[in-house]
Amino acid sequence: MALIEVRELTKRFGGLVAVDHVSFDVEPGTIFTIIGPNGAGKSTLFKLITGFLRPSSGKVTFEGQEVTGLAAHAIARRGIVRTFQETTIFKEMTVLENVVVAHHLRGQASAFGFFIHSPQARRDEAGFRASAERIVDQLGLGTVKREVARNLPHGYLRGLGIALAMAANPKALLLDEPFSGMNNEETDRTVEMVRGIRARGTTVLLVEHDMRAVMRISDRILVLNFGKKIAEGEPKAIQEDEAVIEAYLGREDEELGI
Amino acid sequence: MEQVIVNGAISGMNYALMALGLTLIFAIMGVLNFAHGQMYVLGGFVMYFVYTVLGLGHVAGFAASIVTLVIVGLIFERFFFRHALRMAAREESTMLLAAGTALLLESLILVAFGEKQRGMPPMVSGVYKLFGVYIPAGRAAVFLIALVAVVAFILFMQHTKPGRALRAIAQDKEVSALQGVNIERYSALGFALGAGLAGIAGALLVSLLAVNSGLGTSVSIKAFIMVMLGGAGVVSGAIIGAFILGFAEALGYAYIPGSTTYLLIFAALILFLVIRPQGIIGKPWG
Amino acid sequence: MSRGLLRPLAGAGLALLALVYLVLLPVYFSHSPYILRVVSIASVLSVISLGVWLTFAIGRINIGQAAFALIGGYATAILSTRFGLSYWLCLPLSGILAALVGTVLGFGILRLRGVYFAMITLSLTEAVRLAFLNGGEFTGGASGIPIIPLPGELSLFGVVLMPSFQTVNTHLAFYYLAAALLIVTLAVVWRIGTSRLGWIFRSLQQNEDLATSIGIDIARYRVMAYAICCFFGGIGGSYFAVSQQSIYPNVFGVPDSIFFILYCFLGGLAYVAGPVVGTFILFIGFQILHPLQEYQQLIYAVLMIAIMLWLPNGLLSLRWHTRADRAELARLEGREARS
Repeated sequence: MALIEVRELTKRFGGLVAVDHVSFDVEPGTIFTIIGPNGAGKSTLFKLITGFLRPSSGKVTFEGQEVTGLAAHAIARRGIVRTFQETTIFKEMTVLENVVVAHHLRGQASAFGFFIHSPQARRDEAGFRASAERIVDQLGLGTVKREVARNLPHGYLRGLGIALAMAANPKALLLDEPFSGMNNEETDRTVEMVRGIRARGTTVLLVEHDMRAVMRISDRILVLNFGKKIAEGEPKAIQEDEAVIEAYLGREDEELGI
Repeated sequence: MEQVIVNGAISGMNYALMALGLTLIFAIMGVLNFAHGQMYVLGGFVMYFVYTVLGLGHVAGFAASIVTLVIVGLIFERFFFRHALRMAAREESTMLLAAGTALLLESLILVAFGEKQRGMPPMVSGVYKLFGVYIPAGRAAVFLIALVAVVAFILFMQHTKPGRALRAIAQDKEVSALQGVNIERYSALGFALGAGLAGIAGALLVSLLAVNSGLGTSVSIKAFIMVMLGGAGVVSGAIIGAFILGFAEALGYAYIPGSTTYLLIFAALILFLVIRPQGIIGKPWG
Repeated sequence: MSRGLLRPLAGAGLALLALVYLVLLPVYFSHSPYILRVVSIASVLSVISLGVWLTFAIGRINIGQAAFALIGGYATAILSTRFGLSYWLCLPLSGILAALVGTVLGFGILRLRGVYFAMITLSLTEAVRLAFLNGGEFTGGASGIPIIPLPGELSLFGVVLMPSFQTVNTHLAFYYLAAALLIVTLAVVWRIGTSRLGWIFRSLQQNEDLATSIGIDIARYRVMAYAICCFFGGIGGSYFAVSQQSIYPNVFGVPDSIFFILYCFLGGLAYVAGPVVGTFILFIGFQILHPLQEYQQLIYAVLMIAIMLWLPNGLLSLRWHTRADRAELARLEGREARS
């Protein structure tokens, strides 16, 4: 059974149809990428799946259960966690502390959690710390883990954003343009990072613009244009798809990267 | 009912002067001028002083009010807000600074003009009767002068170079700066202009109602209501807000006892803002 | 390093402060009602300001606290004069009532931020004042509700926990009541700050979307913080009603709402003790300026502006800032030297 099933998902803003009856499946343990020219509806689709926007019609199913129209934080609790462009929560804390705190926030948000010094809490804290260290190392942030988040260079900030999402123990990680603004070295590092996440069993759904990176890591690609799905399949097939090439025709060459 | 409409219109026109000044300052500097009410009061006191104490007539009174408030506006912008806006890590700092300037102005007015309430006779005496409604000549004069001031302001903003520069800054400060507009000079102009408008409004109304040093806060609150209602930073919004308040007030005072009018106005405002926080014409923010 | 010295030094300082506040001052001034009252009022104003501090902690500028102080005051007045309830019941009930009103309003208004939220809360202050002014018989109109009885005896199973305020040195009794309120409030707010709830609140302030994306119900926690803030406002108002033995619409107004924010600011928003420090300094300072009559307000205004211009991070940030700054600078320089 697919981890995420999207059926006829549609979003209308007044007269404008931003996402038009889009359907696809995301298999567990894969990297699924959504691409398309600017304004194609990628971010809107993202927001619909993660609950930051309500769909006009259509259905989203996660692990067999419908999640359409649920509040964003409830969807996050089910296991669909997204990242943002602006990432850090606590600019004044170190990278490691940030990830530890993310565990706290996630773990405790359902209870009142007033008394932090109970033995249970102290055990939790040790567990969180171990988990945070692990996540930080896995994402290649080990060298900067004691840096104050405020001082982090741009490339590492993205990694921190992903680390925070990982602290929420997601079953599906949704990355919002993780490669934007990166140079070749940073892109390589992030590609490794995302591959590592998949290797450890987390399904990844990406929205991205940078074709080079997308071709390298995706198991499956969906191409959106004007809110409609115009192609879906493996990277090789997409590269040769006529509709896709036509959609990107007339754009600057740098954008294509094919 | 017609009387209510006329009263509402007259109040609305005068309130428009106040709302325009406040919204201009907000549009240019992003600061909510807490001292706006006190500026209005100062305008009234200066008019009173020049007309009654110095006996120099209405025109001199207006001139003096405008000049005084322009100077106050320039001083506030140059010595208080310019520094704060550059340095403030949080927007609360500038807001509290604005509140501080309000307190400062009110204290200065208290020291300079004393506690007593001051009034003036209406500018023109006599009463007109128009369509079965009584319009005292003094109120008509206030309406007309306010109208002229509002129109002059709009023309200034639309058709003069500084006016266009101000509008550009209100639209997008960064882009304007990049295009070479001197933000600091125009912030000063904007603030001074906004203050001046408050001064005119005060000078006008002192001939109809009395003015006292403690009036500032309630006048500021009225100005805030208008600007919130119509949309902060938008000229048309300010005017619409002003007239809605003017009419609501006139309606309320005619049919509902005492201060319940404003209670209802506030309740309605809060409800409205929860549904539509950007006001009637404001740009949706966030 | 200097940090090792800090803890015991701070602890000793705190103990000394507690000694002065709870023993030395009240005993020495036990027959100077003016001084006792000034410190009592400063204590309770701190309680109200601590509430505002909480709303700052979730990233909102709350200029409406005076409304809830007024609600608390009137609640106490009505419950004690019309329903004859003991003050010891009125006090918590006033807080709870204020919190309830805050909860209902909060769901609507907390979606707003920045200037918009500030302006709505400012309108709230005025609206509540007008509501009580126009409450007719129930709230006593412009003259409010007079002759609120002093707190009576509080006894549980025959054990007298609190003597009737009429039978003891009333000013001293109110002093200790105010001190108790402040200490309990400080403890609660500090506890919230260091607990997981505090982290949730801070995450709201930093980035609400991010908090949502890791599963935090931000609407619920925002309202929670606001309700707690209103609770303390109500408690403070309740104290004022019973200590002045009357309440009327102008007791708490727009200037008060603004002062609560100022008190938080002066002390420093990053520290729990900030509002307390700010309140004590500014309120007592204002009293000291009293003989200056009409210049009192003027000097206060100048002070306020000076604070905003030169101390935007508050007093408490001054001391720690320099020490942390020096360490930071050293680290940065060290790093640059290596690279």
